[in-house]
Amino acid sequence: MSTRRIDWPDFLFGLFLLLVATGTLVATRKLSIGSAANMGPGYMPRVIAIAVIGFGLFFVGRGLIRAYQGIARVHLRPLFAIVLSVAVFALLAELAGLAISATVTIIAAAFATREVRPLEAVVFGVLMAALSVLLFVSALSLPVPVWPADLFG
Amino acid sequence: MELLDNLLLGLGTAFQLKNLAFCLLGAVIGTAIGVLPGIGPIPTIALLLPFTFGLEPASAMIMLAGIFYGAQYGGSTTAILVNVPGETSSVVTCIDGHEMAKQGRAGAALAIAAISSFFAGTVATVVIALLSLPLSALALKFTAVEYFSLLVLGLIAAVVMAHGSVSKSLAMVLLGLLLGLIGVDVNSGISRMTFGVTELSDGIDFVPVAMGLFGLGEIIANLERKDERRVVSQRIRDLIPTMADMKAAFPAMLRGTAIGSILGVLPGGGAALPPFTAYAVEKKIARDPSRFGKGAIEGVAGPEAANNAGAQTSFIPLLTLGIPSNALMALMIGALMMQGIQPGPQVMAEQPVLVWGLIASMWVGNLMLLVINLPLVGVWVSMLKIPYRLLFPAIVLFCCIGTYGISNSLFNVWLMLGCAVVGYFFIKIGAEPAPLLLGLVLGPQLEENFRRAMLLADGDFSVFVRHPISAGLLAVVAILLLAMLSPAVLRKRKEAITE
Repeated sequence: MSTRRIDWPDFLFGLFLLLVATGTLVATRKLSIGSAANMGPGYMPRVIAIAVIGFGLFFVGRGLIRAYQGIARVHLRPLFAIVLSVAVFALLAELAGLAISATVTIIAAAFATREVRPLEAVVFGVLMAALSVLLFVSALSLPVPVWPADLFG
Repeated sequence: MELLDNLLLGLGTAFQLKNLAFCLLGAVIGTAIGVLPGIGPIPTIALLLPFTFGLEPASAMIMLAGIFYGAQYGGSTTAILVNVPGETSSVVTCIDGHEMAKQGRAGAALAIAAISSFFAGTVATVVIALLSLPLSALALKFTAVEYFSLLVLGLIAAVVMAHGSVSKSLAMVLLGLLLGLIGVDVNSGISRMTFGVTELSDGIDFVPVAMGLFGLGEIIANLERKDERRVVSQRIRDLIPTMADMKAAFPAMLRGTAIGSILGVLPGGGAALPPFTAYAVEKKIARDPSRFGKGAIEGVAGPEAANNAGAQTSFIPLLTLGIPSNALMALMIGALMMQGIQPGPQVMAEQPVLVWGLIASMWVGNLMLLVINLPLVGVWVSMLKIPYRLLFPAIVLFCCIGTYGISNSLFNVWLMLGCAVVGYFFIKIGAEPAPLLLGLVLGPQLEENFRRAMLLADGDFSVFVRHPISAGLLAVVAILLLAMLSPAVLRKRKEAITE
């Protein structure tokens, strides 16, 4: 029992940094570096990415050496529901218009908590959709369709 | 007499009917989000940014600033009545403020909190007016070399002073800088890290990043916790504090204002650090420290004065040097850039109406807040009855619409979604996302000044230590970083932050 190791928050943060830095190096591999006096577009990304790799290795190493530290349990319900509700908005907003997408977004988000009351969520969704159409489209003239385009041909 | 002229110009701007209306709007929105736990000023300001396009720069900044300091007022109301900090800056107000409320002195606590905030806000307005001119005059002499060093100092100091692990925050700054590099390189016209996405060629927009990291990420994390709210159910009366209360609170108010004004100017200061410091000071110098935690009025007056003073003086580095001292000021920089104003020392000279109008509006706004908060406290308390299960879906929707509104692009909504997941990951592993936002906003400026300096110095890195001002700034950076390595300072910092 005494040999439980790995500080997970440190370790994962380090991995994340390594991932981002490697991605940067790959994405910028074709950009010219230039010289210090006349830097090319690839100079700064590489310098910073290398520094990030340094930090990444530091955290991975420190995470492995340090005593065990866990991460609080991940609750999937809020995570999925919020991700879903935003994704629904992104998919529907320009296709189906603000009225429908706003309603669906609110309902999907409401299910993120166990305390959800489905009927209340639907009513609230319709109310908030009406409010956002009034506020953002009528008052602030945001150029987004309110209803599906083909409805009015 | 230049100062007087400037203040008169500012008051003239702030008292225009239109700007008064925007100031009031900002103060009301600020109070509302301040009262509600779970929504902070950062996502709110990010959300409203796209809609400030059409406004004049002065009106836009006046409203956004109103949201920021309005939130400080609102946060204390929730802290006193519910024992939940409406904002991070009001965490310490909970301790003695809520205790006073339990003893039936909620009215006195609210009144002292509001009066302290107003007093501090008034003094801080004068401090800003006094400090702005000499600082920006100094900064106008800066070349790319000094500016680069100043940016480095700003970033490093913000990391050191803010809470959270220093090494993680440094890594976060670098991540932010990397994100800031995305887009077409100004010097060569070649796109970098855009992965063929045309929306990214102008650079990554910080509004979706801010909303994802701070707004949505926090909602997901909040939903994992149990939501408990017990409002102190008593009729709030005696909103006018007694002479004895005022007498006890006044010295604390003065000290809090001084602490807040000084800490607010420093990078990383802003509204979070000053109240903690003020509370620690009050406790230390009190004749009977055991009263603290049991409803000591100094424990409300000092921190409340400090957080409001700090909130306002954190505008000084922004207005004079174009350097944001915290994530919120980074958003303000973004607001300026959206208006086509390049932040920096020249703003003071080129946009006097904007700068002095903003400064004067802070005083006007504080006066409004006193009225909004004290007699109308009942309205705000009733807002606390809105259950979180209705509140958060509405925030999610507004974030979606607001992000879409920046440039009518769904790409930004997807970007926000990605940032929300990353933000949740950061919360889970205990990494503070604020430095990332600072890096993102300052990244392009940092690169531009670095490249220009290197071009002028013909690739000689020693130029940064050969210029005296730049060398001085970098020396401070070195001292800060070395100090962080010393165990004694580390321990002290830990104590100061956890207290």
